[in-house]
Amino acid sequence: MRTLLHMLRKEFLQLRRDPRIVQLILIGPIAQLLLFGYAINMDVNTVPVVVCDMDHSIESHDLIARFSNSGYFPIVGYVDKLSDVDPYIDRSKASLALIIPENFGRDIKRNASVPLPVIVDGSESNSASVGLNYAGAIIAGYSQNILVQNFSRRGFGGLHPIQVIPEVRVWYNPELKSRNFLVPGILGTLLLQATVLLTALAIVKEKESGTMEQLIVTPIKPYQIIIGKLAPFFIIGAIDIVLAIAGTTIVLGIPVRGSIWLLGGLSLLFIMTTLGLGLFVSTVSQTQQQAMMTTIFFLIMPMNFLSGFIFPIENMPKIIQYVTYLLPLRYFFEIIRDVFLRGVGFDVLWPQALALFIFGVCILTLASLRFRKKLA
Amino acid sequence: MISVHRIRPIIRKEFRQIMRDRRSLGVLLVVPAFMLIMFGYALNYDVQHIPLAVYDQDRSTMSREFIQQFIHSEYFDFAGSISSEQEIDTVIPSQKARVVVVIPPRFSEDLLANRSVSIQVLVDGANATTAATAAGYLVAMTQDYSTNISLQALQRFGMSKPTLPIDYRPRIWFNPELKSAKFMVPGLIGFILMMSTVVSTSLSIVREREKGTIEQISVSPIHPMELLVGKTMPYVLISLIATVLILITGYALFNVVVRGSMLLLFLETLIFTFCGLGLGMWVSTVANKQDEAFQLATLVSFLPTFMLSGFAFPIANMPKVIQWITFINPARYFLFILRSIILKGVGLSALWQETLFMTLFALGITAISWNKMRKSVFRV
Amino acid sequence: MPDVAIEAKELTKRFGDFIAVDHISFSVNGGEIFGFLGANGSGKSTTIRMLCGLLQSSGGSATVAGFDINSQADSVKENIGYMSQKFSLYDDLTVTENIRFWGGIYGLSDEMIAKRQAWAIGIAGLEGREKSLPRELPGGFKQRLALACAMLHSPKVVFLDEPTGGVDPIMRRRFWDLIRQLAEEGTTVFVTTHYLDEAEYCNRIMLIHAGRMIAVGTPEQLKKEYIRTPVLEVETERIIEAMALLDEDDRVEETSVFGTFLHVSIAERYNAEKVIREVLGAHNISPSRIEPIVPSLEDVFIHLIDRQEAEQKR
Repeated sequence: MRTLLHMLRKEFLQLRRDPRIVQLILIGPIAQLLLFGYAINMDVNTVPVVVCDMDHSIESHDLIARFSNSGYFPIVGYVDKLSDVDPYIDRSKASLALIIPENFGRDIKRNASVPLPVIVDGSESNSASVGLNYAGAIIAGYSQNILVQNFSRRGFGGLHPIQVIPEVRVWYNPELKSRNFLVPGILGTLLLQATVLLTALAIVKEKESGTMEQLIVTPIKPYQIIIGKLAPFFIIGAIDIVLAIAGTTIVLGIPVRGSIWLLGGLSLLFIMTTLGLGLFVSTVSQTQQQAMMTTIFFLIMPMNFLSGFIFPIENMPKIIQYVTYLLPLRYFFEIIRDVFLRGVGFDVLWPQALALFIFGVCILTLASLRFRKKLA
Repeated sequence: MISVHRIRPIIRKEFRQIMRDRRSLGVLLVVPAFMLIMFGYALNYDVQHIPLAVYDQDRSTMSREFIQQFIHSEYFDFAGSISSEQEIDTVIPSQKARVVVVIPPRFSEDLLANRSVSIQVLVDGANATTAATAAGYLVAMTQDYSTNISLQALQRFGMSKPTLPIDYRPRIWFNPELKSAKFMVPGLIGFILMMSTVVSTSLSIVREREKGTIEQISVSPIHPMELLVGKTMPYVLISLIATVLILITGYALFNVVVRGSMLLLFLETLIFTFCGLGLGMWVSTVANKQDEAFQLATLVSFLPTFMLSGFAFPIANMPKVIQWITFINPARYFLFILRSIILKGVGLSALWQETLFMTLFALGITAISWNKMRKSVFRV
Repeated sequence: MPDVAIEAKELTKRFGDFIAVDHISFSVNGGEIFGFLGANGSGKSTTIRMLCGLLQSSGGSATVAGFDINSQADSVKENIGYMSQKFSLYDDLTVTENIRFWGGIYGLSDEMIAKRQAWAIGIAGLEGREKSLPRELPGGFKQRLALACAMLHSPKVVFLDEPTGGVDPIMRRRFWDLIRQLAEEGTTVFVTTHYLDEAEYCNRIMLIHAGRMIAVGTPEQLKKEYIRTPVLEVETERIIEAMALLDEDDRVEETSVFGTFLHVSIAERYNAEKVIREVLGAHNISPSRIEPIVPSLEDVFIHLIDRQEAEQKR
């Protein structure tokens, strides 16, 4: 027991003097938090439109007004000739071009089906499809109006457009702000980076400098070395959890709808798995540089991309979806999102918690066994 | 003064070192391949198969028709019927469905009587991006349905063959199927190029300094400029080859065709490569050891290229302050240029501003780093 | 103290097909300074690691401080000190922090640690430098500190693996003074080195080559065994040619180049100087000086290795 305490004290002394620590634990997380909190925004807020009005009638102005009044389609240019539209789209000044043909006003009153071309810049598929749909809705609404007006003029009075009106209510994130689900997710990536990288580096550093050899000649037992090495980073992970949750809720103003204690507890469970991963990486790396490369390229990067943080898992091919079941970060993201945004409790999240627990136990056992083998 | 003759052995040595450094090689090859496959196949924001549950309080032919249009589309999958109000509150939290459509009891009755109806649509906003897109599709499809209803009503009123006055003809330019892959692939080229050039260049210079071989070289008759050119040439070559490979793969797997001028594409790639080289040089003047260099290089290339270049997150959405920061990020210009050339086929006339900025960056960073290097590295 | 501190019987270690240590047997008495000499890759480090309980042996047996290295490894660890080749101290812990840590790892109580800390600082000459980091210490002090840290728990046996690498000769001498002091106080010191001049400081030395033990004994014993064939130092021009010529002659047993001179050993029954002048004179080489010398351990070593390799070829 005393041996363990001595190990812990040594680790903390070393950590205190390690300049990288401040970087990785404070600056890194805070920078990421701020970046994601303020900079990253995937919301499609506006779709800039260039209007080519070759009619200049009351009707064309009416249609254009519907676009600009929607608040969604700011009009960035008015042109008269079709050829003038291209530069706007090519230079990405506008994502959508509304092309109103000559005699538009006259023709729609005659009930002739007037083709109304709308050009959408498909290179940014996300905003393209949203823009497309809303433009279509505006035009269809206008179209219906005209239809009914035409009809009324012909004497079929008392008609109005019949519409099915969708009242959309958004749960959990009413303004559909992407940051509300991006920012909490940072907790996951942060913890992953800090704990895995630091743990792996710390253990490999001892290997590299030869102090590991010095240690194993002493009466210290392998499990004492493992606990001695992992415990400090468990504590650091816990500190990071607190910092990240505080930063998210207080500084960035994204509330936690569910229980913070549940979130904290499950985060600690998550750290168990990441520490195990760090230990494992240390058993397959000889130098600190190797450890760093392995961790970043084979663990952190794939996990960040494939765990459903930014890109939804359901869009991935089935094979890859199966692979994601092996990633602890995937379960942790679900936990984070559910507790932050949906406010659910353990009754819903127990499968994820169980998955994390099983993964944690397995990887810690595997890594410890490898570690002991390497020592002998 | 500068002899090409002396540069050659340096280039050769550098190539050999690259080939032998398994790890860096692995990273140079595996990472791009991984990202290509990831972004091409797995990672996208396309909206598909969103589970949609229905609380149909009307249960008429009309209401069923209404629902069918959603379920038959590729955007939504049927996630079950709800039979009570209480169930609504559980179906989204349990994630059985991400969208719930509630149809009021007098749906068909009202519509047939030429009255408008409201329906409730509940959307799980947790993933805001897909939620917004899904809502958009829903609204558009509902609008289509409304239009059909109106036309039918008009027919009943005696109008023969009613047509809509406006024939909405959307044309999607550049990416008709709206596949995110086409948007991502050009971005990938930039990302991979930046990372590999910065990391490789900085590592190779720092490695020589650490091992002491740079001392050895500086006492030889080699002119520092020759050393630099020799060291960086291989990476320029590798970058160009990588670009070609990615384009070929992009074509083979995702049908990404370069609509614009290939020559312009390679020219811009060359300029961008020099931006990366300059940046790598700068990193080598700041970092003293290999792992420091690696960390700094990754930080400096990954962060700006992934987050702040418009690769995955649109710049237009960012706060003004951050948008200003992106003005000094060469990746931002390169991505814009690449996408314009590949997807839109535009020429230099539309891209001269961005090209200019990139060139300025390349010259600037190279000049600064070269200055620092001359003082520290070669006057050992 | 007639007790046996270390005893090895046919100790063997195999890595796959490669035999790193080949049936080595020796014993070290308590209080001895035992030198373990060999080139890099000769099996030195492997042997020491087995004795410390760091590596399982493939065959044979050994006891250290009375405990079996394979079955009682834990007890072995409690009773030995080890200073690794990299004399690993924690570079980011101060001198006292290092001492306190290693003392604690060996299970010493706090008062014991304080006492031993005073001893360690004294013996390593680090008064006034308690708060320094190891990398800040001047040359040679790191080694002394590492040695002290390896002995905080007053072990009976201490293993030192190339403890004086990269240290200037003066500091090396002082380090060996320290070793001698420890041995006088009763500690058995098992040292590996490839500085042959250091071997002279040992009570007994053992030579190992390609995993096999090729000689063991006191330095004087080893030199005497060899002295049967006297060695002459020859100063001449065209040294390489001279060496080749002498090698061809049957009467010449061995030649080797030492600096700019030749060391030649000729079978006892001949008049060595005459033989040399005769062989070289036939080719117009006239050495300026021929002198008998006392063979150094280096001579012995090379002679023994050559003999070993010649035997293996047969």
